[in-house]
Amino acid sequence: MGAVILARPGRSGVLSSLQKAATASSRTQCRQNHFHPPVQYRKQELPFRAAPTRSCRLYHSQFHPRAPTHEYTNSQTTILSAALEHIPSHGFTLEALTLGARDAGFLDVSVQLLPRGEFDLILFWLASRRGLLRAKVEENQFESLRSVSSVEAKTKLLILERLKMNQDIAHKWQDALALMSLPSNIPLSLSELHALSSDILTLAGDSAVDTAWYTNRLGVAAVYASAELVMTSQKPHADFAAIEAFVQRRFEDRTALAEKITGFKQYLGFVGSTAIGLGRSWGLKI
Amino acid sequence: MASRSMWRSLHYSAKRRVVSPAQYRCFSCSLRAQDQGKTDSEKMTHFGFTNVPESQKESLVGAVFSSVASSYDTMNDLMSLGIHRLWKDHFVRTLNPGSPLARRHNETEGQGWNILDIAGGTGDVAFRMLDHATNVNHDRQTRVTIADINPDMLAEGKKRSIATPYYNTGRLSFMEANAQTMPSIPDNSVDLYTVVFGIRNFTDKQAALNEAFRVLKPGGVFACMEFSKVNNDLFNAVYKRWSFSAIPLIGQVVAGDRDSYQYLVESIEKFPSQEEFRAMIHKAGFMIPGRGYEDLTGGIAAIHKGVKPLA
Repeated sequence: MGAVILARPGRSGVLSSLQKAATASSRTQCRQNHFHPPVQYRKQELPFRAAPTRSCRLYHSQFHPRAPTHEYTNSQTTILSAALEHIPSHGFTLEALTLGARDAGFLDVSVQLLPRGEFDLILFWLASRRGLLRAKVEENQFESLRSVSSVEAKTKLLILERLKMNQDIAHKWQDALALMSLPSNIPLSLSELHALSSDILTLAGDSAVDTAWYTNRLGVAAVYASAELVMTSQKPHADFAAIEAFVQRRFEDRTALAEKITGFKQYLGFVGSTAIGLGRSWGLKI
Repeated sequence: MASRSMWRSLHYSAKRRVVSPAQYRCFSCSLRAQDQGKTDSEKMTHFGFTNVPESQKESLVGAVFSSVASSYDTMNDLMSLGIHRLWKDHFVRTLNPGSPLARRHNETEGQGWNILDIAGGTGDVAFRMLDHATNVNHDRQTRVTIADINPDMLAEGKKRSIATPYYNTGRLSFMEANAQTMPSIPDNSVDLYTVVFGIRNFTDKQAALNEAFRVLKPGGVFACMEFSKVNNDLFNAVYKRWSFSAIPLIGQVVAGDRDSYQYLVESIEKFPSQEEFRAMIHKAGFMIPGRGYEDLTGGIAAIHKGVKPLA
């Protein structure tokens, strides 16, 4: 997955060449994605879609339609959505899936529709919550988000909003984390975490195009994942203020760390230029 | 199941004295079948690498299997190096038969699963499914109907069932039936339809898939384990060498019947690839979960699944 390129074409030499390189590589590698209708319209034509797959689109822009947060078929979505209701009582288990299938009018055996079993339930939970967050912002239902202006403040609000969705299932989340940490499940779990941090930053209006793109996403992912972990160790229905304070502290840590790095860079620059000046004054040809 | 067909073919020699010899010399049968006046309009199908009229294949396959019955565990283990047991265990474990949760009070009827095991004559998979339902899911309601076209294979399964706790209970029943038309089974009555190493031998596979679609309840699952195509060229070379040289030889030495084993490996070669068979399942009307199939041991066998849609 390449970087999001938000700059308009031809803004500067470096950027436009970067963009050319990106579009050229995407043209060669994912031609079909470029010239075909968006994924949601093609769903019916492809009966054998493996859910959820990672898209091979290398070039992203605000002009592309957003990919849906998950690629499950209608029947799978019906069972999974019904199963979500049973997570607070049964956790991320086959029982929840079976009960969901029964609620949706399917048989016990119909959970075979989900080849990954419980892990599909976890992925669907993550993807659907991400979709809810996205919908809430895009449909302007998130009042407090408009009252703040900085990207960082918006990011913090979005992380907290996403964490609030976990409140009902926090006591079962450890089981899910255990399943997600199985070696075969790690790649999909990490890509979902990346998708979440990427969505949060995009919704917050982050427009970084340099290495900050990576560090921002890494930072958000780290803050979110650690807060999630703290939530699992809390008692059920504990005060959410503790989590808010935790996230606040992590953001302060991040700022502090960024300041230290900037300070250290300034210090190095100062010492370096002093050393050069000293050398020159001694007659060295630098 | 590698084992089941091998098993059947292997068993051939043991019963040879009982059945009339002309019936199961499959090669001589097929030759004779071709000699006999067949009308030009008759549709042909393959029997191993030979082409035979569709009306003949059933009796030819029956001839291969009708003599086979009991002492083949050794032969199956020899041919698959014991792996067929792991495949069957895995198959049953992923299907997870049996309901671990009690039905809610408003759903009184339909306790347990109604499982139909096609071509399951010797009961290998049926007993495994009942064991799994009972011991893992504590479900004592789930029942299995073993259907097979071949009465000799069914007799073998009945004999083996005496040693299981399900003998003479309502949970296990036997039925002689052709999987392409099963009028005795009503529409929408089966939770899980399994066919393990059997569909390869059917004359019209699509008709059997359509019949499976008919008998399954909406939401019911079609699950099939069958030999398939190896996806690694190097491994494929080794596997082909083993199946075309070693297996007929083992059959000749251990069971004294090379032709049946020759049929076994040829029918494996003729069976459609994973993608083609998945398309056939989809054509019958099933929803395909995920990729639709799971390769076992590099694609020697594959588990295919389809789910009947609700509406």
